[in-house]
Amino acid sequence: MAIINHEAELARAGANVSSTRGQILFLARRYPLGAVGALIVLLFIFTAVFANFIAPMDPTTTNAKASLAKPGSVYWLGADFMGRDMFSRIVYGARISLAVGAGATLLGGVLGVAIGLMSGYLGGWFDLATQRVMDIMQSLPLLVMALVMAASLGPSLENTIIAIAIPLVPSVARVVRSSTLSLREQPFVEAARAVGMGEVRIAVRHVLPNTLAPLIVLATAQLGSAILTEASLSFLGLGIPEPYPSWGRMLSESAAEYVRTAPWLVIFPGVAISLTVFGTNLLGDALRDILDPRQRT
Amino acid sequence: MRTRLAFVASGLAAFVVAASPAFAQKQGGTLRVSHRDNPPSASIHEEATVSVIQPFMAVFNNLVVFDPKEKINSPDKIVPDLAESWSWNPDQTKLTFKLRSGVKWHDGKPFTAKDVKCTWDALSGKADEKSDLIRKNPRKVWYNNLKEVTVGSDTEVTFTLNRPQPSFLSMLAAGYSPVYACHAQGRDMRSKPIGTGPFKVVDFKRNESIKLVRNPDYWKKGRPYLDAIDWKIVPNRSTRMLGFAAGEFDMTFDSDVTFPLLKDIKSQKPDAVCEGRPSNVNQNILINPEAPPFDKPEVRRAVAMSIDQKPFNDILFQGHALSGAAMLPPPAGVWGMPKEMLQTLPGFATDVEKSRAEARKIMEGLGYSKDKPLKVKVSTRNIAIYRDPAVILIDQLKNVYIEAELDPIDTTVWYTKIQRKDYQLGMNLTGLGVDDPDTNFYENFYSTSDRNYTSYKNPEIDKLIDQQSAEMDREKRKKIVWEIEKKLAEDGARPVIVHNVANTCWTPQMKGLVLQHNSIYNGWRFEDVWLDR
Amino acid sequence: MGAYLTRRFLLMMLTLFGMSILIFVMLRLVPGNVADILVDSAGIADPKEKAKIAAELGLDQPIFDQYLHWISGLSRGDLGFAYVSERPAIEEIGPRIPISAKLAGLALFFSVILGVPLGVISAVRQNTGLDYFLRILSLSGLSLPSFWLGLLILMASVQWFGMIPIYTNEPRSFIDEVLLLSIPAAAVGFRSSALIMRLTRSSMLEVLRQDYIRTARSKGASQTSVNYEHALRNALLPVVTIIGIEAAFLVGGLIVTETVFNIPGVARFLVEAILWRDYPIVQNLVMLIAFIVVVVNFLVDMAYMALDPRIKFAD
Repeated sequence: MAIINHEAELARAGANVSSTRGQILFLARRYPLGAVGALIVLLFIFTAVFANFIAPMDPTTTNAKASLAKPGSVYWLGADFMGRDMFSRIVYGARISLAVGAGATLLGGVLGVAIGLMSGYLGGWFDLATQRVMDIMQSLPLLVMALVMAASLGPSLENTIIAIAIPLVPSVARVVRSSTLSLREQPFVEAARAVGMGEVRIAVRHVLPNTLAPLIVLATAQLGSAILTEASLSFLGLGIPEPYPSWGRMLSESAAEYVRTAPWLVIFPGVAISLTVFGTNLLGDALRDILDPRQRT
Repeated sequence: MRTRLAFVASGLAAFVVAASPAFAQKQGGTLRVSHRDNPPSASIHEEATVSVIQPFMAVFNNLVVFDPKEKINSPDKIVPDLAESWSWNPDQTKLTFKLRSGVKWHDGKPFTAKDVKCTWDALSGKADEKSDLIRKNPRKVWYNNLKEVTVGSDTEVTFTLNRPQPSFLSMLAAGYSPVYACHAQGRDMRSKPIGTGPFKVVDFKRNESIKLVRNPDYWKKGRPYLDAIDWKIVPNRSTRMLGFAAGEFDMTFDSDVTFPLLKDIKSQKPDAVCEGRPSNVNQNILINPEAPPFDKPEVRRAVAMSIDQKPFNDILFQGHALSGAAMLPPPAGVWGMPKEMLQTLPGFATDVEKSRAEARKIMEGLGYSKDKPLKVKVSTRNIAIYRDPAVILIDQLKNVYIEAELDPIDTTVWYTKIQRKDYQLGMNLTGLGVDDPDTNFYENFYSTSDRNYTSYKNPEIDKLIDQQSAEMDREKRKKIVWEIEKKLAEDGARPVIVHNVANTCWTPQMKGLVLQHNSIYNGWRFEDVWLDR
Repeated sequence: MGAYLTRRFLLMMLTLFGMSILIFVMLRLVPGNVADILVDSAGIADPKEKAKIAAELGLDQPIFDQYLHWISGLSRGDLGFAYVSERPAIEEIGPRIPISAKLAGLALFFSVILGVPLGVISAVRQNTGLDYFLRILSLSGLSLPSFWLGLLILMASVQWFGMIPIYTNEPRSFIDEVLLLSIPAAAVGFRSSALIMRLTRSSMLEVLRQDYIRTARSKGASQTSVNYEHALRNALLPVVTIIGIEAAFLVGGLIVTETVFNIPGVARFLVEAILWRDYPIVQNLVMLIAFIVVVVNFLVDMAYMALDPRIKFAD
């Protein structure tokens, strides 16, 4: 629905709507900040995927001679206390951030969609019960919830993903539930039912696709907060353990100790986190404008 | 700005002091010290960390104590504390102390010989079941040889040993051996303890601060000089360092300043007095002898031979750490083996490449190779001082066909996991309360000890440990000690990488502190410390 | 209306009750309990001593009894004994609340002071360079991890002022006191101000498009008076909501900021207590946070109802 509106707008603007390239160029001109965001996110994903080609060194190899080396021609962003190359660690750190960010968003999204669809579709006591559980989960801030979960599960990559994903579930479930509720009684759903389509099929084929737009907007916002939460958890020592080069972990303990002699240990990982989250936020804003005009700012 | 003002003021003070003929200690002032973490409790007997000893030793007295004016703790430098004098019976099994009279606990009750008996009965497991004065006892092995404590009179107490043990007095002289009050409750000793010492506990706020004030009724006349000691718990090391540089603290936590940080401190606070010294904490590898293939001694030896101390020392200590076996090496250490002997041990050879080649041969003999490495996990406590050396260790093990992955273990379950033998290789730190072979060997290598993490069992070593413990002749005893060190190294019992060296810094206005060079766990009574301002 | 209030209140209690079960169960799933930790701190793992401590703390009782014990105490206002310090939990938690409250209050103040005016300016100057700049600023506020911002501030204050704001109960001077709390509060508040600014901007824009604003304008009211008197007043309603939501958001910011600045408030205490498996502290603190969030949401709803007569509540 939202997408249809937009195509009309495209056509009105006289853009070459028949080619994808034309559409992208048009959107980039229309939403310059969003385009910058998309570029940053693409760069982030590219770095994460091709980390082993981009990083000049192994991120875990220590080197006594390079301990706290200054940024220069060999160590572009300097080296940490253990003599590990900061640039390589930040590049590999993108992989961790993407794994946790995308993993948590996806897991939280899948769970949230399932719960939301069932809740909105089945209604009744199931809806009531899940709504109350969502209430309970939302009565704690994301970081507090993730903190308790992470402590319960123990530090590892998988557990960190789970610990961040679970607190993301309620908002997804809520969005899906409310769309489902309004869609359930729509004529095209009634029609499908009249043709004899099964309820599960109706839910998946007709209801779900129509909730996609707000979901994408929400997921982009959640990607950013998942990355931030991972950084905070690792900073507090409850997230990703060594030897994984997590950006948040890089900012904790030893990095801060050498803050005066080796400020690059603090500056670069922080820039990496901020830039990535900034990118997802810019992209999220633009996507919301494009996909969900009701919430347009 | 304030710092600069303070600097000018201290310059003035120095001028005045230099101009006046007598250099007298000044009374008063509050000493502000940073603390690195929350002490698990205030009860020294129940804990095994310097986080407890350093702030709380000043609350107590021992029977005897290592002379606080000496840098090296040695059995020859033990001075009276609550005991005025002591004597051995002819067959060296009865140690009788004459106690000071008129000493009072912080709550006003008198100190008597009964308190001494209560303390050591609890430590040797003879207190009745219901008592919670000491509910955990990490140094139980120290008192395996203690038969009984008998009260002669209010001012006389006798320790009876099963057999002669020259180290017994050294153990009593350690910071870990304060006298507790009979009438104290365990709960109070853990949160707001009473002692006979120069300072009283006003407040121990978890994760925040420890406040001590001068005990006006201290039995040693004219002491302490300070009015109060304020410990502020600052878990983040960078904040502690910044705080010291900015003049928020008069002293850093003991051994808190690593060599890379030292440079920074010196540039920010050029007048800081810093002293680097061995902490009698060593980095060692735990090899689980029950986890194949480490059940084979030759594999354990190969692990030891893969070690090149230099990168450990260079990265973590900028080359200042000491190379030694199980005991702290001389000159700071009283008991460690001489250098020439050390170089014959596996892992201490000067030619690392040669010993690695040898280790590779061992591994090849067992079917491992570059393409078919032995895959293991290196477990370590998930805190930086453990993790950093573990990362280097993993790097080095590659040289002998061992491909290791780090398994960081939550601090909270580290010892439980080690105790269950739920690991293959472990990176560990071992600190010694006293530079003494009995405490080290009985705690860490005797077959029945709780803290023998590797479950190292060797009847021959047990016998040698008992033998050195009873040996009265110091030189003869040293020879046995070296033999034990050598055997432990050859068995790969707990290969030692390096003995840590770290710095402690304080403002030049703080005087009268003597750091002990073979134990960070002693010398924290603070009664002779004063502030020149 | 009365019925709505009752229902809303009952739901609130139900949520808190559910939270108490959730947190209780989750904590008991954590590997290792406080007995392990207390014993481990001494470097030994003697099962006998551990069992003794566990029994002393009541950890050997059935989990249901433990829960009942806690919740019945809580309803009487008895928070139980902290495991590690062996003091009443209320004595451990109580003194830390004002510190965090002051910090949170200051942070909220900063974020409103910064967020509302900038949001208004951004809306009034929509799609100008200034608007873009402010939007980027607010987005970057949302993107900076507050612990990183804290670290940067610490670095800067040592570099330029030769001192750092380490928390103390007895600040030496007024300036010290202001620095002690307002620097960390600014680090938390900067991030929250971004949220407030975004919301103020969007609700301002919406109001500016409304008919009555056009009417006011056509009647000759000056642009400024329209913007500030008519539009802002109406736009403030959703802003009140977001300030409510902020309360929850702030707690997250406090956790890392109190850690960075070594402030002995409840948020940092929660992290420490989790690491120490000090159940009585963690349980009660989590309940406290949940309570604050739930009550604030309730109050926001009430405020909404009072401020906006259009909203009706179906029973």
